[in-house]
Amino acid sequence: MQILKTRRFWLGAIVVAGGALTFACNRATVATGDLVGGDAASRVYVKPGEKDELYAFMSGGFSGQVSVYGLPSGRLLKVIPVFSQNPENGWGYNEESKPMLNTTFGFVPWDDTHHTELSQTDGVPDGRWLFINGNNTPRIARIDLTRFETDEIIQIPNAAGGHASPFSTPDGKYVVSATRFSVPIPNTDMPIADYKKAFKGTLSFITADVPGKLDIAFQILMPGYDYDLGHAGKGPSDGWFFFTSYNSEQANTKLETNASQNDKDYIAAVNWKRAEACIAEGKAKTSPAEYVHNYMDEKSRTAKSETKTSVKMLDPRDCVGVVYFLPTPKSPHGVDVDPTGEYIVAGGKLATVIPVHSFTKLKKAIEDKAFEKEIDGIPVLKYGSVMAGEVQKPGLGPLHTEFDGKGYAYTSMFISSEVVKWKLGTWEVVDRVPTYYSIGHLMIPGGDSKKPYGKYLVAMNKITKDRYLPTGPEMAQSAQLFDISGDRMKLLLDFPTIGEPHYAQAIPAALIKDKQVKYFKLAESTHPYITKAESDGGISRTGKQVHIKMIAIRSHFAPDNIEGVTLGDTVYFHVTNIEQDWDILHGFAVLGATTSELILNPGETKTMKWVPTKAGVYPFYCTDFCSALHQEMQGYLRVSAAGSNVVLSANISPKAQAQMAKATSGGAGK
Amino acid sequence: MNRLPVRSRVLTALAALLVLGTFFVPLWRIQLHAPQYPEGLGMLIRLNTITGMKPPDLDNINGLNHYIGMKTIDPTAIPVLTVMPWVAGGLALVALLAALTGVRVLLAGWLAAFALAGAAGMFEFYRWSYDYGHNLAPDAIIKVPGMTYQPPLIGSKALLNFVADSWPATGGWLAAAAFVLGALALWLGRRSSAGVAATRSGVRGAAPVVAVMLVAALLGCTTNDPAPIAYGRADCDVCRMRITDQRFGGELVSQTGKVHQFDSIECLANYTAASSSPPRSLWVSDFEHPGTLLPVSRARFIRRAGPSAGMGANLLAVAATTDTTALRAKFGEVTAMSWDDIRALAVRGALRERFGDA
Repeated sequence: MQILKTRRFWLGAIVVAGGALTFACNRATVATGDLVGGDAASRVYVKPGEKDELYAFMSGGFSGQVSVYGLPSGRLLKVIPVFSQNPENGWGYNEESKPMLNTTFGFVPWDDTHHTELSQTDGVPDGRWLFINGNNTPRIARIDLTRFETDEIIQIPNAAGGHASPFSTPDGKYVVSATRFSVPIPNTDMPIADYKKAFKGTLSFITADVPGKLDIAFQILMPGYDYDLGHAGKGPSDGWFFFTSYNSEQANTKLETNASQNDKDYIAAVNWKRAEACIAEGKAKTSPAEYVHNYMDEKSRTAKSETKTSVKMLDPRDCVGVVYFLPTPKSPHGVDVDPTGEYIVAGGKLATVIPVHSFTKLKKAIEDKAFEKEIDGIPVLKYGSVMAGEVQKPGLGPLHTEFDGKGYAYTSMFISSEVVKWKLGTWEVVDRVPTYYSIGHLMIPGGDSKKPYGKYLVAMNKITKDRYLPTGPEMAQSAQLFDISGDRMKLLLDFPTIGEPHYAQAIPAALIKDKQVKYFKLAESTHPYITKAESDGGISRTGKQVHIKMIAIRSHFAPDNIEGVTLGDTVYFHVTNIEQDWDILHGFAVLGATTSELILNPGETKTMKWVPTKAGVYPFYCTDFCSALHQEMQGYLRVSAAGSNVVLSANISPKAQAQMAKATSGGAGK
Repeated sequence: MNRLPVRSRVLTALAALLVLGTFFVPLWRIQLHAPQYPEGLGMLIRLNTITGMKPPDLDNINGLNHYIGMKTIDPTAIPVLTVMPWVAGGLALVALLAALTGVRVLLAGWLAAFALAGAAGMFEFYRWSYDYGHNLAPDAIIKVPGMTYQPPLIGSKALLNFVADSWPATGGWLAAAAFVLGALALWLGRRSSAGVAATRSGVRGAAPVVAVMLVAALLGCTTNDPAPIAYGRADCDVCRMRITDQRFGGELVSQTGKVHQFDSIECLANYTAASSSPPRSLWVSDFEHPGTLLPVSRARFIRRAGPSAGMGANLLAVAATTDTTALRAKFGEVTAMSWDDIRALAVRGALRERFGDA
């Protein structure tokens, strides 16, 4: 009997707890509808042999790279090495790509990538290039989308923390970079307590429309705040750029409290056409600044690095009307311009509303001089005079907004971990879905452009927890794909990502897939150590340097027996993959080499530098499974003691003999 | 002197132009199919050279061929390629002369020379491909006993993991058309006599009919033939499995010319048993000659015990002419069945044991 009573008690408790839980759940998921739509599986299933509808380019976050996913399947297609060395394919290890990671601080093997930005024509992604920023040592990289390779990297001078980057103007003329950290400019030794007095921010405009010619067009000197994100105006607001800032308190310590005191921070509205005019009038100062520009020489496929020494710096005090401040609630993160170019949406991450500014009102306020005050020559417009509306009670922690082109905006809510859909103009919330967990940015294909592709939304979540099979304390980052084609958002798919994808962009596959390079033409290569035929391979010595020219083709290296190297020599293996066939790659690795392997695209020459430290015989082999006789693709290099009289030699393959014989007889015939 | 009529001379001039056309387009096309080459791989034989269908194709074919010890295909080392432009040029010139002068003998001689040149060309092509396909390096990396790699003169053939297709390309068709035009010109311009003049109108009426019949016969030929099975790429129309084994396979050509392919005799039989419309033709793989297709009427079917073949019913087909003692030696005591027997089994559902109703 006692047992029964106890049972009854527990039963009651469970019912009450369950009821409470249900109630809580109902409240939390109000108006979310189906979490996973009934046909979700078929919406994301891409049959074997079929291809995805979109390419999604996701920043690799602290991996320093870019990852490419197919949508809607969420399949990882490629990781493109950008700012970090990548032993998987030798990026930053082989002699050809090392200069790409050069900076004024020397060789920097890592960075923190944040935002991908597809190149634009007339405000719409065109599929030519992808830009990505390095946050830690401020840089911007351009990735070519016919090869999915990093082609160019420019360092941003007078900057620390290149976070508000690399957003593009609609005409593709500029990409921008604004400083997350204000620092002394130029950066010199001084007390940190001098922050308010001497620390400054900069907004950089980088010419981006000519491949191989990324360059700092000009910088604008700004008050010492933290600049966070940016977006170009478009349509009626074309010619303007908007940057969010926080820490208008100018705290230099305990920012989590000290930079959260002001009721409003600022969006900087930059009239970049006006800046161009001022520079043309000679109002910018040319100030010394060292920065590095690295680019891949197209014909030799070898990176070059050049150091530049000055930039044009524009002080808003010298150029009236170039920058205005728009008061914006509580440490705004995202600043997003709707497809029409009229609305500027801010994500005040500590705000209880989503504030939206109107570009029409902004122009009127400037005309009427509706200024609150002026900071360092920058007029502060009155909040009420520029505000179009506020989305009330959207949730907690609005961060970033994109658009579907059908009059709706979608804002990520970090703290309440959800996506909120609301209507432009009426500012009413129409739908919300939970995300798992703590969404940062979100992305709608083309969602920040003039013509959103719409259809899907990808949430990039900061915390993963129990969404996948556990893998120790650190879990993969989590992305979630939603269908936004209907009135209600529907969760379709979870998929893990590399690093931390702060932001992503996606583009219809049709704009990219048919213009892919399949191999590099041997005949067109100008690499100084290319070996175009087996008979051209060989070995040569210049003092202590030994250069080995070698070919790789299915399934051998030639030469493959090398002697005469002595201790104290520095050996350069210049290996050319002479295949002219798509996806036929070779690799190259040597026993004991203190660097990564080489991976060779067809038609490409790559160089491994190797300093042997012990006498002996060293095998080398192909590391990329190339053919049925891949395991036979190997050779030996002999290293002798210093001063040894072993003759420098490289064997000649039968094929090379035949080629030589033919060349000789051909020559004799002439 | 009795010269060719104007219409014959116009046709002859046209033939000359078509021959000239062969200078600009490839004569022959050899295409290689394998799963690893979804984008295709092949070479084009032109009057004076051999090129890849895509620029690097020839080098890639040579690269693959080195595994089986074939010689490198080097156009500069093939003498006939230096002769062919002169032959084609000569043929065009003679045809042009015949058209201008209207001399009948010239046209007749041209036709004979053309036929001779064509035959010699095909013979030379055969001889060359025989040499490349048979004359293999003794230290070849991959050696398959009994295997040679001569591409078919015309048609389709399986060579290890590749299926080689060899067909005339635009230039080949141009040459053929030139020959037909020349022949037509000669026939229309037969030496006129009293009797012939009377029938000329009849001939004029008959010419188009003959032409149409020729075309129809050509079309008939192509559609009645089985389409080669692209082993390793095609899927069975019944069980949806990849057709990979060249010893097994079947094909059905419908009345409308639609081709259905199968990975086994049982799948073919089950398909025909379930189908209401009679097919135009039915084909099965010859077990003894993998990769070649036999019409079912000329095949004998054997149900083999032991390890699985095809879809599990263990059916295989051999040519009806195969010696019975040889079969016994190979397969033991077997009953050779006809296609009608197989079809009857299928209708009774006796060939469904493995894949049931799936």
